[in-house]
Amino acid sequence: MFSHEKYKHLYIPAALVTILLIICAFRAPQLFTSVGLAGAILVSAPLILASIAITPIAMAGRGGVDLSIGPAIGFVNVTIVTFLVGLELQSPLAVFSYAIVVGCIWQLLLAAMIVFLRVSPILVSLSGFLILQGVNLTILPRPGGFAPDWLSDWGYGTELNSPVLYVLLSAFLLWYLFCRTPLYESMRLLGSDERTAYTSGVKINLVRFSAHIVAGIYTGLAAVCLTGLIGSGDPSQGNTYTLQAITALVLGGTSLAGGNGGALGSILGALAMFLIFVVLSSFNFGAISGFMTELTYGLILVISLLLTIFTGRIVWEKNS
Amino acid sequence: MNNIRLENVCKSFGETVALDNASVEANPGEIHAIIGENGSGKSTLAKIMSGIVLADSGDVNVLGVTPYSPLQAMSAGVMTVHQEVLTADSLTVYENIFPSYEGVFKNSLTTVEKIEKSSELLSKLADKNISPLQPVKSLSLSDKQWIVIARALVKKPKALIFDESSAALDLNGTERLHSEMINLKNSGSCVILVTHRISELVKITDTATVLRDGKSVDRLEKKQINEDRILKLMSDPTLRKQKSSKLGKKKFVDQPSISFKNCKISADSSEFHFDARKGQVIGIAGLEGAGQEKFITALAGINMLHAGKMSYRLSEDDEFVISSLKKATDLGIVYVSGDRKKEGIFPNLSILENFSLGLADTFNKFGILKSDSTLKILENERDRLRIKWQTPLNPITTLSGGNQQKVLIARAFASDPSVIVLNDPARGVDIATKQMLYKNLRSFADRGGIVIYLSSELEEFYHFTDRVDIFFNQTIYASLTAEECDENKLLSSMFGLNEAQKHSNKGLTL
Repeated sequence: MFSHEKYKHLYIPAALVTILLIICAFRAPQLFTSVGLAGAILVSAPLILASIAITPIAMAGRGGVDLSIGPAIGFVNVTIVTFLVGLELQSPLAVFSYAIVVGCIWQLLLAAMIVFLRVSPILVSLSGFLILQGVNLTILPRPGGFAPDWLSDWGYGTELNSPVLYVLLSAFLLWYLFCRTPLYESMRLLGSDERTAYTSGVKINLVRFSAHIVAGIYTGLAAVCLTGLIGSGDPSQGNTYTLQAITALVLGGTSLAGGNGGALGSILGALAMFLIFVVLSSFNFGAISGFMTELTYGLILVISLLLTIFTGRIVWEKNS
Repeated sequence: MNNIRLENVCKSFGETVALDNASVEANPGEIHAIIGENGSGKSTLAKIMSGIVLADSGDVNVLGVTPYSPLQAMSAGVMTVHQEVLTADSLTVYENIFPSYEGVFKNSLTTVEKIEKSSELLSKLADKNISPLQPVKSLSLSDKQWIVIARALVKKPKALIFDESSAALDLNGTERLHSEMINLKNSGSCVILVTHRISELVKITDTATVLRDGKSVDRLEKKQINEDRILKLMSDPTLRKQKSSKLGKKKFVDQPSISFKNCKISADSSEFHFDARKGQVIGIAGLEGAGQEKFITALAGINMLHAGKMSYRLSEDDEFVISSLKKATDLGIVYVSGDRKKEGIFPNLSILENFSLGLADTFNKFGILKSDSTLKILENERDRLRIKWQTPLNPITTLSGGNQQKVLIARAFASDPSVIVLNDPARGVDIATKQMLYKNLRSFADRGGIVIYLSSELEEFYHFTDRVDIFFNQTIYASLTAEECDENKLLSSMFGLNEAQKHSNKGLTL
């Protein structure tokens, strides 16, 4: 007894991922070996987690797009290799709790600005982006440092049965549980129409803060996976996740106007972006391959948005 | 404490005084009406009771609490159906009926239960099947209204406030809503009804409070509630004037100026003709969804009919086909919508800007709008229509609903139109404004204009229209002249039961 309406935004990203998987089967069959899959999981994990992180904020409305997600991941990454390693706090428990707590504190700061000062979310997160970018470079001017040993070991990515896989699975489970709470429903209501939510008795500030806390948890997880992937600290690597995560979010069908969408869409969006990268690298574009990837991301984004609008219109006309 | 008691409540928004020592008392087991003109503070009073607005001073006691948030009012057992139809359009019907606010981690009902209850309640209220899994954005305004009402009823409230909640409903729907109100009252709840529809409140209310300019002028018991008395109390004695203006007898060119031939609203509906001459005020009536809305928007060039030739004639040989919105605008056909929020105002712009938009073509110098000359016109219109404002540079949303509508009507008049098409413009407008509107529309017609007036309230047609065309089943079913027009005939035609006046399907006198 599920409304297909709730899952309609998934049609296009699911189709896109399927098509890309078929192309990969021909162009890059090595992806389907256990080593290939292990690598894929390792490389795509930070992006998947980052795009889940910005999903609740977008769903809670007011045009909330968290631009600061990239530098926030970067901040956790550089502070793990400098501050945390410096303090000899290297246990998995310490690293995970540190990352999640820092992620949540950052998101709470953003939420406080948005809720209490009523600044537009995009301005808040843009300032956050700029501030953290500078802070990251001050802490660690150039890439360096070492991640805790257990975390660096993740970076080999040769085994399917890896910690990264478990991080991802628990992240999915957490989202699934979150979806079952009234809080999640209130969040969708808030994103869809704030005044309806308020007059229906939803504690709108509490819900907005909660959306940011959920985002903070996933920011922390994304940062740990990124640190595992690169095995060191990098002040600028994180920044690239801002645009990528937003692209994945939009590809996944989450509406930037709020209300509609979900993490499953963002996950599919992130997977599609990874697969586009795999497909393109199976062609030899030489020095311009980076630009080709960006260009293709952009094209596919535009096409899938057009398709979403177009299919929506057909359904609408059929109904009326 | 099961009653609602507000004493000497004052509330101002900036310099505008909304409530000035208003008092209301309503007891459990009764339907209490709050009546007053637009801007008399009814909605503010309802908002104070539901915790959305806080009173500046005075005693507020709603079921034993002074609510400072909607949540608190709801916890005390107060539900409100607001004037605006508040729905979350991208969510489904059942999610709109059960917005979860109870807790963070625990739902009191499962999804399946919510869906079942929604569908049960909606089929009772709306008298048709609305799938609970459907997204709300695909529904009509009246169906959305039912959802909002269902959202309130499902909580089994101890007090239920209806703020103009029957505005989007047709006659049958209003009847069903009334029986719900009576059920609630019989179960010991307190029902507060804020309404403009006097006939409605005379029928079902037990007690009433009359507001004028933010003051409560009287509290009426059941036997004191009648139309005349309410009208007398509501209107400012200094402004009261003649009830109806004489019908225009001036005749212009005998050729019909608007003529629709062989029109069909949808593929399987029957054909009809329509014509209107200069100097005429034509009323359009019908039950909701009978085709009158599609007809009137086609007339304004907003959408197209399924089939038929719609033409507008300036003189005998000058005939234009209304084929697009642009064409309609060029011909001087203006459209005033009753759905202000969606089709009328630009909420972010000022009163003046909202007014000037339609005049941009006439009042500009090298493409730059001359705001001082438009301001002058606006001020003239203000005096004529009695629009209340602080300064025309304030956002239009600072005005009450009725005053917003007046600005839109002023905009239509100021563009010097040849035809004014009004789609239920008096929705949420008080009687004094209505009468002023009728007078202005009539004098517009006397100057050679054509007025096409759609209304969902029957009493609007009396003493005002030259002819009423009634839609039934996607076609013009009957036409009533001014002399024939009475409640009985209108109603029976709307329900398709009036064989005597049945439209000849050949147009009237061609």
